[in-house]
Amino acid sequence: MTARSLFIPITLLLVIAFLIGPFLIIVAASFSAGETLAFPPQGFSLRWIAKVFTVESFRASFGMSLFLAIGGTAAALVLGIPASYALSRYKLPGAEIVRTIVSAPIIVPGIIVGLALLRYIVVPFQVGITLALFLAHTALVLPYAVRVVSASLDNLRSDIEEAAVLLGSSRLGAFFRVVMPNIRGGIMSAFILGFVTSFNQVPVSLFLSGPGVRTLPVDMIAYMEIVFDPSVAALSSLLAFLSIGIVFIAERFLGFSRYV
Amino acid sequence: MFQNRAEALALALPAAIFAAAVFLVPVVILLSDGFRAPTGGWTISAYTDFFSNSLNQTVFLRTLRLSALVTVASAVIGYAAAFAIVSLEPGAKGKVTGLVVLPLMISPVARTYAWIVILGRTGIVNQAFQALGITEAPLRILFSETAIFIGLLQLFLPLMIISLISALENMPKDAIPAARVLGANWFQVFWKVVLPLTKEGLVIGGTLVFTGSLTAYITPAILGGSKVLMLETLLYQQVAVSNNFVAASVIAFILIVMSFAANILLKRVATARNKQRSQA
Amino acid sequence: MSDASYLSLEKLTLAYGDSVAVANLDLDIRKGELIALLGPSGCGKTTTMRAIAGLLAVKSGHVRLDGADITRMPANKRAVGLMFQSYALFPHLSVYENVAFGLKLKGMRGTELETKVQSGLKSVGLSTFANRKPAELSGGQQQRVALARSMVMEPKVLLLDEPLSNLDARLRLEMRTELQRVQKETGVTMIFVTHDQAEALALADRIVVMKSGKIEQIGSPEDIYNRPTSSFVADFVGFENIFPLENGKMKTSAGLIDLSGKAPSAAGLAWRPRMVTLGTGPFQGTVRGTSFAGDAREYLLDTALGPIKAEVEASQPPHALGAGLTFDLPAEKAAPLSRFV
Ligand SMILES: Nc1ncnc2c1ncn2[C@@H]1O[C@H](COP(=O)(O)OP(=O)(O)OP(=O)(O)O)[C@@H](O)[C@H]1O
Ligand SMILES: [Mg+2]
Repeated sequence: MTARSLFIPITLLLVIAFLIGPFLIIVAASFSAGETLAFPPQGFSLRWIAKVFTVESFRASFGMSLFLAIGGTAAALVLGIPASYALSRYKLPGAEIVRTIVSAPIIVPGIIVGLALLRYIVVPFQVGITLALFLAHTALVLPYAVRVVSASLDNLRSDIEEAAVLLGSSRLGAFFRVVMPNIRGGIMSAFILGFVTSFNQVPVSLFLSGPGVRTLPVDMIAYMEIVFDPSVAALSSLLAFLSIGIVFIAERFLGFSRYV
Repeated sequence: MFQNRAEALALALPAAIFAAAVFLVPVVILLSDGFRAPTGGWTISAYTDFFSNSLNQTVFLRTLRLSALVTVASAVIGYAAAFAIVSLEPGAKGKVTGLVVLPLMISPVARTYAWIVILGRTGIVNQAFQALGITEAPLRILFSETAIFIGLLQLFLPLMIISLISALENMPKDAIPAARVLGANWFQVFWKVVLPLTKEGLVIGGTLVFTGSLTAYITPAILGGSKVLMLETLLYQQVAVSNNFVAASVIAFILIVMSFAANILLKRVATARNKQRSQA
Repeated sequence: MSDASYLSLEKLTLAYGDSVAVANLDLDIRKGELIALLGPSGCGKTTTMRAIAGLLAVKSGHVRLDGADITRMPANKRAVGLMFQSYALFPHLSVYENVAFGLKLKGMRGTELETKVQSGLKSVGLSTFANRKPAELSGGQQQRVALARSMVMEPKVLLLDEPLSNLDARLRLEMRTELQRVQKETGVTMIFVTHDQAEALALADRIVVMKSGKIEQIGSPEDIYNRPTSSFVADFVGFENIFPLENGKMKTSAGLIDLSGKAPSAAGLAWRPRMVTLGTGPFQGTVRGTSFAGDAREYLLDTALGPIKAEVEASQPPHALGAGLTFDLPAEKAAPLSRFV
């Protein structure tokens, strides 16, 4: 073997070990039977995995995160699909301004968005934390929704809508009959991308927490500062497998990676 | 059929108004806080105060330094990895790329948490070092710049690798063999051929990694602890511990300016390159 | 409504924002007529078609169809069919579903629908392709689907925007015949846009020549081909030697020139290359170029009048490059132009 033919496998091995290794260690650690987080794990048990489901705050924050990821992404799509449609089909006066405004939340660090929302929406308008979180996550996902949906609309000819209208369909009917079926993959991909982004998001939600109201990742950070047992590892593994599973299925059925 | 402007506005405005109300306006007010004098009027004294504090200076420089180091390291490793990946068979290439992308799907909290297991006092690294007799007592690796560096690198390396893979794939197939035939050694091939041809990908990846590191919260929070702060964790402390909203606004402004500067730089370099190409 | 104005455009003005694309257009079309809209790129052909279909709002003027003013009627209520240059087939639907799309919206169901769609497919020879998706068809087949999809709706007017321009030469001829057959069989009123004068001459009952948003001339193919009324139309249909007249004299680069024979009272005169007499006549020229076109030979002459194009039967003995020739522009053969632009 020459130096060059060794270079490829060794580089790949090291890089993948660095990227994936820690995740595997977390998975192994979550099956530990010991009391503290350690690797190699002390014995094998499912006790920490089981414990995850019994921690009350995890259950509540998981519910909250799930609600935000689904609700926030759905709301972002409800706002984002019409906006994408206007941007890709019409010559909109100020199109660039609209595009910049809706995609700005992606550029500004989440922690600033969260703080700004806390100080200038939540406090002055007496908005509930849950609603504030919902607004924040919607704004956060909106740029992804607009980007992905716009891309699929740009790839679809606009004259099929005109053809549908000339065949007797209303404008709205044409949208649902010939546009939606052709951008469905893009919308689903936007949903999955938005879901994963929202679910894993921390900084936006940091300041937006109140008694009993927290997102799961923020809750996990709080928990790991106090308790040093493998239950956070167990929860991390479960969540990781959940998102990998979702993305894997999306890739299989939608060709997800085309859209993101 | 798509000429009606009122129609277009009706479709686009809800999203724009929402983003403006929930995001743009509050953020702009927040950013203006740092320029407001307590007595009314405008001032930059909050900024001079901020930068005259040595702790803040340290945090600012550390943030810049770590972000730059992570960017450089990810570029070096990224080139090696991207080279190795594009030289694979198509089938294997897809699978390995999948493995590289996989971590992006995993919650950053989970990914960062793993390093506690690895770098902690009883973690794998310390166990190995002690078993090999390199050190007597466990080293303190966690809650250090090193830990943050490793965590950020692991978090953002995939973005760099992906950018470089697509840049390398878009490179003319015969560029490297041609340079080799002309007698260039591997170093020259990289410096004179590969780097100029993949500069755009490098710049895109570099901006993602740099702004990502600059504005990362989870990694410095978990791996840096409350002593080794970066700008984001400092911002959090200013709010949560000191209730100092003016300082928070100053840090927010600095973070945004730095991210925007990096983004603008990206566009500059990318377009400068396009000009060169169209002239050629 | 008189029979001569089944579809009529009255003082139709169309604009994109502030830029006017079609100005004050008047046009009357009989029921069952096949009209060709001919003109250079950007003259407003597509714009006019889109306004008739209702896809573009009318700035001023009226569109009347079958006795009703449809100027402000929504596109989906007009019973106007439009075949797009790109076909605009629905990519997610099969050939069958594409053709059935409009019929279903009309509420047609069951065997009635089935029969209608099948006969539509049969009329364009695509019965065996019913279950394919548009992407699995050739360009010519896609075009037939688009035609069937429009025709099953039994539109009052079928508009075709450059229907043949995406096809290769052989398919073009085939589709041309097909369109003509469908039109004759169904008697549908048809307007088609083309760049190609040969296509317009071969297909149309009447030809409308447009230029920069206005109609230059309307007439039968014979009219347009033999009796262009303006220098623009003359040039468009192959009169390559065109001169303005002033006081009955031809205005050339060599000054005002008397013509042999009687000078008509017109704004200009135009000759096809074939109408130029070579070998005799009052004018002198030098052969600067020559080209052979099978049954004819074309000469480009340098003359005091300017460049002149002449064409003679290929059986005549050829003239060499640089040879001096006498020629004539016989006034009685020329097409008199009422407008010179
Ligand atoms: N969507 C539009 N916005 C603004 N101006 C337009 C638009 N579409 C067409 N125009 C302008 O209107 C005029 C007429 O265009 P139109 O498309 O009707 O020409 P056409 O005769 O169909 O040309 P072609 O033979 O190239 O298809 C042109 O000057 C064109 O630039
Ligand atoms: Mg056109």
